[in-house]
Amino acid sequence: MRQLGGLEAEIMDRLWSWGRAATAREVRDDLNKQRPIAYSTVKTVADILFSKGMLTREKDGRAWLYRATCTRQQYTAARMHDALEGTPDPAGVLLSFVEQISAEEVHALRTALRAAKRRSGS
Amino acid sequence: MIMAGAAAGYALLAGAAVPYALARAGWPHRSPALGVLAWQGLTLSFIVATALAVYHLVLTDRHVHDGLVGLLSACGPGQAVSKAVASPPTVADAALLLMPATVVLLPLGWLARTAWHTRRERRRHADLLAMVGTDADDYGVTIVEYTVPAVYCLPGRGCRIVVTRGALDVLTDEQLRAALEHERAHILGRHHLLRLFARAFARAFPGLPLARLAEAQTALLLEMNADDRALRFHSRDALATALCEVAAGRVPAATLGASGPGALIRLRRILSPQTKPHRATGLGVVIASIAAPILPLLLVCVH
Repeated sequence: MRQLGGLEAEIMDRLWSWGRAATAREVRDDLNKQRPIAYSTVKTVADILFSKGMLTREKDGRAWLYRATCTRQQYTAARMHDALEGTPDPAGVLLSFVEQISAEEVHALRTALRAAKRRSGS
Repeated sequence: MIMAGAAAGYALLAGAAVPYALARAGWPHRSPALGVLAWQGLTLSFIVATALAVYHLVLTDRHVHDGLVGLLSACGPGQAVSKAVASPPTVADAALLLMPATVVLLPLGWLARTAWHTRRERRRHADLLAMVGTDADDYGVTIVEYTVPAVYCLPGRGCRIVVTRGALDVLTDEQLRAALEHERAHILGRHHLLRLFARAFARAFPGLPLARLAEAQTALLLEMNADDRALRFHSRDALATALCEVAAGRVPAATLGASGPGALIRLRRILSPQTKPHRATGLGVVIASIAAPILPLLLVCVH
């Protein structure tokens, strides 16, 4: 299962970098430059990505053309937003350097920092 | 009945009185590791005392005082052993023992559940990082192209530190290294496990002042502990400014609910040198944290 997850990332990486639609065979050929991998495996994982809504596909002759539904930036922004913002991480999944705080608290932080710098400066 | 009352009083003290005093005390902020230990000792004391109180409530005057078996039986599930010698245990006896056992099993159950849930979420996040992150070897971190500044670690197996592009943009090299050292302290100290314990206990006993305070205070004290480690290698100014910059970049559009004054407390603490508590104080806290959970057991056994 973990290997499939890694392959998902590799396939998305290709399609995002190319910025165009591609067949599973094209992706397989590119992956084969690094290591041997079966066409059927790539096809299976591409279909998983399609069912997850990350790829669209259309018939091109006899082969399927796969295309990323959003850009890498859009995907990153959406998923990172979910992971880092909104509800404060209830289960402590990630340990953040500093939690999200309100604008008033940020103001208080800046004031305290400025005051300390003035003290040490004078 | 007296023992049940005494144990219940002890549980009440640990669960609803001492937590308020400990949350207000100054020394945990000066030595966060001691503070975390004290909260854990208090939590364990509450569980032990509550289990004993329930036990004595359902099994009054059934003490057996004969040697080691008697000692064991007076202290917990050993009762079943000694009773088996005297007379065959009935289903009712087993059912009675279940009640005090529940007090212990409840937090353990939540611990398993919370651990499983957290593990699954961490895997999901690791999958996300595999897709959108790039490894930066010069810092030993994963970089994500995301405009909001954030520095965090994904603990557990395959742990790693993550920095967003936004954080790289607002932090200087020295500030970034200070923030990274803070995250490294979380990983090296296995802070996620301590957070997990506190979280599971809070879920098992919702509404209990100790549970609520222990979870919040443990989280804050662990942040302070990580700050202290970062300060061993980096300047106060670098860490404080990094904290300020990352927090400022993360301000949400809508005001957040009571997130607590954690960031400000930490900033003030970073900016002013902390004197460690006296060694005697430290030793006292360690002894008290270990003795407090054992004390009710001893009292019951001697009785």
